[in-house]
Amino acid sequence: MDWTPTPRRLTAIRRDQNLALVSAVVSGGVIAAGLILLLVARVNPDTASGLRTAATDVVAPAWSVVRAPIDGAAKLAGDIGDYFGAVSRADHLEAELDKANAALRTARNGQRELWQLKRLMAVREPTRIVVATTRIAAATSGSVARTALLAVGSNDGLSRDMPVIGADGLVGRTLEVGRRSARVLLLTDPLSRVPVIVQRTGQIGLAMGRNLPTLLLTDRIGPELQLVVGDRIVTSGDGGVYPPGVPVGMVVDPQADGPVIRLATSPLGGGFVTVERGWLPIPDTQPKGPLFDAPVPVEARTKGAPPPRLRSNEEFPRPRSAQPPAN
Amino acid sequence: MIAANPPPALLMTPDERRRWLLSTWRYGVPALASVLLLVLMLAPLPLSVPAMPHLALMGVLVWAMLQPGLMPPWLAFCIGALADLLFGQPVGVNATLFAVATGVMRAAGRVFGRHGSLFDWLIVTGVLLGFALLTGPLMALAGRPTPVLPLLWQWLTSVAAWPLVVRLCAAIQRKLAASALLWRHG
Repeated sequence: MDWTPTPRRLTAIRRDQNLALVSAVVSGGVIAAGLILLLVARVNPDTASGLRTAATDVVAPAWSVVRAPIDGAAKLAGDIGDYFGAVSRADHLEAELDKANAALRTARNGQRELWQLKRLMAVREPTRIVVATTRIAAATSGSVARTALLAVGSNDGLSRDMPVIGADGLVGRTLEVGRRSARVLLLTDPLSRVPVIVQRTGQIGLAMGRNLPTLLLTDRIGPELQLVVGDRIVTSGDGGVYPPGVPVGMVVDPQADGPVIRLATSPLGGGFVTVERGWLPIPDTQPKGPLFDAPVPVEARTKGAPPPRLRSNEEFPRPRSAQPPAN
Repeated sequence: MIAANPPPALLMTPDERRRWLLSTWRYGVPALASVLLLVLMLAPLPLSVPAMPHLALMGVLVWAMLQPGLMPPWLAFCIGALADLLFGQPVGVNATLFAVATGVMRAAGRVFGRHGSLFDWLIVTGVLLGFALLTGPLMALAGRPTPVLPLLWQWLTSVAAWPLVVRLCAAIQRKLAASALLWRHG
């Protein structure tokens, strides 16, 4: 051997003891730091949102690449499975088609009447605008937070609080948006509250996620009618994020205090989802600086202060009385 | 898995020093394996309850058992913080619990010494249950109270997946140990 091994002397034993003490202190400090971080997150929930989006920007595109061959294999398996029982399914579908055609004839009549009435009343409705169509790239199915990641972000025009809608129904809304990734708050997350309406009774309420496959219908107001199994639940359009009429689910357990809703679509079903613009623009709640009548000198602008606003640049809604009377 | 007892740097020949520097990546293998397991957890499986096994926590626990020196609590804290960022949870929930779990595994190793793999499984079952039950209070501390009972699904699948994760990490360790540097000189 060309070096001397460490002898087990008193100094060595003492060094071991010191190291053990230091490591215990470091471990305690680490745990204390974690608890302090939790308190910081309680005071300011947006802590580390920049770090969060940076992390998802790396992971979501990677997963969208990884899942492509898996999707291909699943599609192949589905194509093969489609050949089994094709005849009986075709009979079943033909029967359903007859029923649907009958319903469509009556619906066309109603649609025309609705269009006429809306024209008479000069109803103006915002339109639904699709921002992006994509697949769900990754999901946190191993955590108390039920979110999914999309591999599109602010580069594709996404922003916060945009509804995410699947082919069969509502999936969730965007929560955090990075450059190439976005986090979607799924309907089943305990934080999720969706304003909904019961189609048959017209009662409005909130569909609340609870980390289970089903949702809970809470805060129901409207006519005193008992729900029945099979009542359809759709979004009401209240709150301005979700467009009205998107299927959310179906009542499976009509208890008086908390009806249980089964989701219309599996949020992570693997199909395509569309991200739409928010239904109604959310009011701007950013703090604004004072109004000025003349341009502000450069010296008066301090770092961190909201930008100065010029009265001539602001658009004020003109008061009604200022307009000339019609006749 | 890493070179055992390297000689003091001044006594190394240039060739030895080069080989030593080229082998330092082995120190990061436990952390890297745990992070890969963490990314694997983000697979978009159509699960309607949080039933995905907590692979990242199990990776940290395995390495805290196999290589306690390479998975100290502060490293587990960092991996847990990354898990919080990726899962969209308040930063600190997984971080704190990972660090505590590593400490518990170290203490268990000190107290019980050598034992069979079934006993390990039992200890890990307890640690995972503690993780599932403590997540709720910590989320509430961060201002986002959540129901904890759905996490028991994850506990069940994690306990079932433990032998697989142990096999995987042990295979990595065996593979690296076979090619570890030996400092044998005449």
